[in-house]
Amino acid sequence: MKVEGEHLFNGTQQQVWDLFRDTEVMASALPGTKKMELVGENTYEAVMNVRVGPVSGEFSGQLVISNEDHPISYTMTVEGRGKPGFMKGVGDVILTDQGENQTMMGYTGEVQIGGRLAAVGQRLIDTVAKSIINQAFETLDSALVERFNAETEGREAAYEQSSEGDYAASVAKDLIKNVLKRKDGDES
Amino acid sequence: MTYKVIGKRVKRVEDPRLLTGGALFVGDVNLPNMLHAAFVRSDYAHARIKSVDVSAAKEIPGVVGVYTAEDMGDAWEPGPPLVSPPPTLEGVTFNSCRQVPLVKDKVKHAGEIIAVVVAESRYIAEDAVEEVYVDYEPLPVVTDLEKCLEPGHTLVHDELDTNLAAHLIQNKGDYEAAKKQADLVIKRKFNLDRGAAAAMENRGIVVDWDQKNQHLMVWDATQSPIPIRNGMAARLGLRTHQVRVVAPFVGGGFGPKIMMFYAEEMVLPWLTMKLNRPVKWIEDRKENFYATTQERQQVQEVEMALSKEGRILGIKQKIIHDTGAFDPYGLTTPLNTQSHSMGGYDVQNYNSECFVVFTNKIIVTPVRGAGRPQGIYVVERMLDIACRELKLDSREVRRLNFIKPDQFPYDHEIIDQAFTNLVFDSGNYQPAYDKALEKIEYDKFIKEEQPRMRAEGKYVGIGVVPFVETTGVGPYEGARVAVESSGKISAATGVGTQGQSHMTSFAQIIAEQLGVEVEDVSLVSGDTAEIHWGTGTFASRGAVVAGNAVLAAASDVRLKVLKLASKILETPEEELELEGGMVRVADLPDRSISLGELAILANPFRGAVEPGTEPGLESTKYFGPAYGATAFGVHGMILEVDPETMMIKIHKYITVEDCGTMLNPLVVEGQIHGGVSMGIGNSYYEKLHYDENGQLLNASLADYLIPSSAEMPPIEVYHQNTPAPNNKLGTKGVGEAGAIPVPAAFAQALENALQDYGLEITETPLSPNRLYELLYKQEE
Amino acid sequence: MDNTFELSVTVNGTSYHEVVDPRTLLSDFLRNDLGLTGTHVGCEHGVCGACTVLLNGAPVRSCLIFAPQVHNQEVMTVEGLGTVDDMHPLQEAFREAHALQCGFCTPGFLTTLLPWLEENPNPTEEEIREAISGNLCRCTGYQHIIDAVKLAAEKMN
Repeated sequence: MKVEGEHLFNGTQQQVWDLFRDTEVMASALPGTKKMELVGENTYEAVMNVRVGPVSGEFSGQLVISNEDHPISYTMTVEGRGKPGFMKGVGDVILTDQGENQTMMGYTGEVQIGGRLAAVGQRLIDTVAKSIINQAFETLDSALVERFNAETEGREAAYEQSSEGDYAASVAKDLIKNVLKRKDGDES
Repeated sequence: MTYKVIGKRVKRVEDPRLLTGGALFVGDVNLPNMLHAAFVRSDYAHARIKSVDVSAAKEIPGVVGVYTAEDMGDAWEPGPPLVSPPPTLEGVTFNSCRQVPLVKDKVKHAGEIIAVVVAESRYIAEDAVEEVYVDYEPLPVVTDLEKCLEPGHTLVHDELDTNLAAHLIQNKGDYEAAKKQADLVIKRKFNLDRGAAAAMENRGIVVDWDQKNQHLMVWDATQSPIPIRNGMAARLGLRTHQVRVVAPFVGGGFGPKIMMFYAEEMVLPWLTMKLNRPVKWIEDRKENFYATTQERQQVQEVEMALSKEGRILGIKQKIIHDTGAFDPYGLTTPLNTQSHSMGGYDVQNYNSECFVVFTNKIIVTPVRGAGRPQGIYVVERMLDIACRELKLDSREVRRLNFIKPDQFPYDHEIIDQAFTNLVFDSGNYQPAYDKALEKIEYDKFIKEEQPRMRAEGKYVGIGVVPFVETTGVGPYEGARVAVESSGKISAATGVGTQGQSHMTSFAQIIAEQLGVEVEDVSLVSGDTAEIHWGTGTFASRGAVVAGNAVLAAASDVRLKVLKLASKILETPEEELELEGGMVRVADLPDRSISLGELAILANPFRGAVEPGTEPGLESTKYFGPAYGATAFGVHGMILEVDPETMMIKIHKYITVEDCGTMLNPLVVEGQIHGGVSMGIGNSYYEKLHYDENGQLLNASLADYLIPSSAEMPPIEVYHQNTPAPNNKLGTKGVGEAGAIPVPAAFAQALENALQDYGLEITETPLSPNRLYELLYKQEE
Repeated sequence: MDNTFELSVTVNGTSYHEVVDPRTLLSDFLRNDLGLTGTHVGCEHGVCGACTVLLNGAPVRSCLIFAPQVHNQEVMTVEGLGTVDDMHPLQEAFREAHALQCGFCTPGFLTTLLPWLEENPNPTEEEIREAISGNLCRCTGYQHIIDAVKLAAEKMN
């Protein structure tokens, strides 16, 4: 399944780059993350709770950053396994300076899933994936603001992770929005 | 004999229990002290197993054990081959790789079993399955039928140096010479994809080892209890009398339940003997998509040489047939495809090369049609295409090519699935074809209906396709018939029943022979304690092979009855009649004796049994045909398609079927209706979506679309009777007929409806999405 | 947390009081705890309809309901429709029309049709097709089932 999109951040290219390389931020941004650790140069280990419709469970896996072209682009490779199945993905992230303290982040990637997730989650995967990504961006936006504030105020930044309840509600909202959009004949 | 029961629309004997919830299916078996098994199945289609950690699973309260291949020790061995390669074909390559009970080193398809959990309840067992951690090393996955034979491609089986499971060439006449004479040579590539049988009842097995009695009791939703009994006894080192297999009421077979020695059938008996407790496993629907066999995937390249009148001069074919990860079923399915790739036509030159390949998917074994639909599909599609190119009427072309009645028996000079020469025993195709054209009002449709509806902006099309079906193959079946002291009849046969109404149609045969009511005949099928020799229910052979064995046994009992009654009533046999459970002297109705009384007299307490005779009024007989009986028919449909939504509606569906003598017309119609519904599913709704990782993306009934009543049209069934010359009943099989020609008829009708778009269909199944792609691409 | 539930339920007119694991599906409760194996499980995800039973007179998928959800309620299964010696006209009609082959899906059709026929005593073929479109059958192609429903409508009126 192809994953692609873009998001406009309120920050310089350097700030956005740093945000993405901050382990604590990443851990808080992805809903359901229980653990994210830098275990080697550019290699993270993570444990995440994933829910796609009726299929849910813990995934553990690795995330590797490569092809770094600071501060413009990099490639991210993910591989995870758990009770609900397995997934692997490869994606490219590109940051473009928009001027006026704004940076456009673009991403394209391929994700493959297997196991129970693929067998019964198929029809929901698309929407849920986008929902996770949107959620992550919202959290990252707040994180960026928090970083800026923390710097200004000369204190440690404190990142909030959205609860699983919030996440579930958000996914449900997106699913319903999707259904309504399709009924109106819009492209989703 | 004036009492006729064969051919009557008799109500089924088995129905009252089924209708009131009182029939036993394997899932209904509940024994004291019973344990439940659940399986840890691979998510990956191709992976090495680095380690399996069962420690957490074992800790769960209620779990009795968690076992892997290692725990099985010497009891671990792959399943037996079911069919060996044909001995009579020269130059056959066959690499036998069979499925295993529990995976040892390498997983070869998603769903293969790595470990089994046994617990006090299924719920607890499934909880524990979640706690087993398997460390996999994923490997590249083999899914492409054409690429998998390229040198250097990933191998499914490391011990082979190829993904080739089998290679064979069948040849009749000289295609290349015929081609030189041709006015038209057409060539096409066909993509035929997998389908699942998806019976309403999933598989299941309950095993119970009685240590004191040294006896293994097995309930198995199988189509072949006797071979299962024999194989299990052999694997477990038991004598056959120590194992009893009962196939109770089975909720639909359609082929995959004849696959034998599924992993579960190898693991559960081992478990019950090890644990000394009954063990039960019932497959759930998702498992069914991963663990029960499928069929139908082939890539074919077909070339047909014709004269300008449309006479087929020769056919050349290359088949790549997917057998999945293992090939226990040998060449049955591709041989069936070859047997049907000439249809019912007089084709003198035929050359067919078949490659059977291994892929990382669940095993392929016959599913209703068993390779025949693919053969009929390609020959009919090629003829349709030829008609377009030669600008000929497709009806005339069929007429020209049909095998004529005086050409039977017609020897095709190639080998069929039974390893005998493919011989069509009898047939009369033209009248059946004409009847179909008449019933669907072909002329009226083409000349009036279609243009009228087209003018209204509707896209309607018609498809009429003739087909043949090889049925009634050996090796043999047996039946035992006995008159009880009550006067009622008991009978047994080895073929299991999954809805084919054996308990009624076979009872009809017996009732007619012995002059009793159908309800007074109690027939047991599928219990190895009742009959020792047999094969199973498959390949549309039950009525022919078991039916004729029943007839032979029943007529033998009739002779015994007459002989004994003649002695008792002191009347010559010719003057005796069997009626209403009595033997009467014709014209002297008071001189009579009941069958029950005769049965008692035939089993004397005192005196001696005459030398050379047997006690009782009982007989066991077998029937083994040298070659099968060839059924045939024609299907026609009128369908409407909406070129914007791609939704279809079938307005009319007719079938003309010729299965020789019908035992029970209600049953025959039911079989046709069911077959057609599966065929319609195979044409437009049922597609198994595998991705490049061998992952099945639609493993549920929500996403694998079996036709509901809303998708099904009413179906008209018309009969023709060309009796089979080689069996006393004159009957032919009809179990698969409904499914065989449907995709070909569907393609013809759809092309006819969308003529304006110049659509050419060379694949099946289609779907609304796929149709959209084909039309859209056309427009570009 | 207590891992059991004390369930009281009336099934086919008989009261039952059983202690169950709260996550037991109604289908499993009926089949295993009460021994009423007429209700069959075809998919466990609510699509095939074989597990249909009547809950307070309305058809439901017993594979999608937990046993505690029917506490103090009334359930009817196929066993409540009739017996071998005394079949309901709907069951008789199925037999006469040869509307069952393997019989696995049949109980689900019967329980779905019973209340529907009472509300639709004179159905057309279209209406019948729609009424049973939530029950899957792999054997019959539905034709004889539709014949049976028409016959049953006659018998029941």
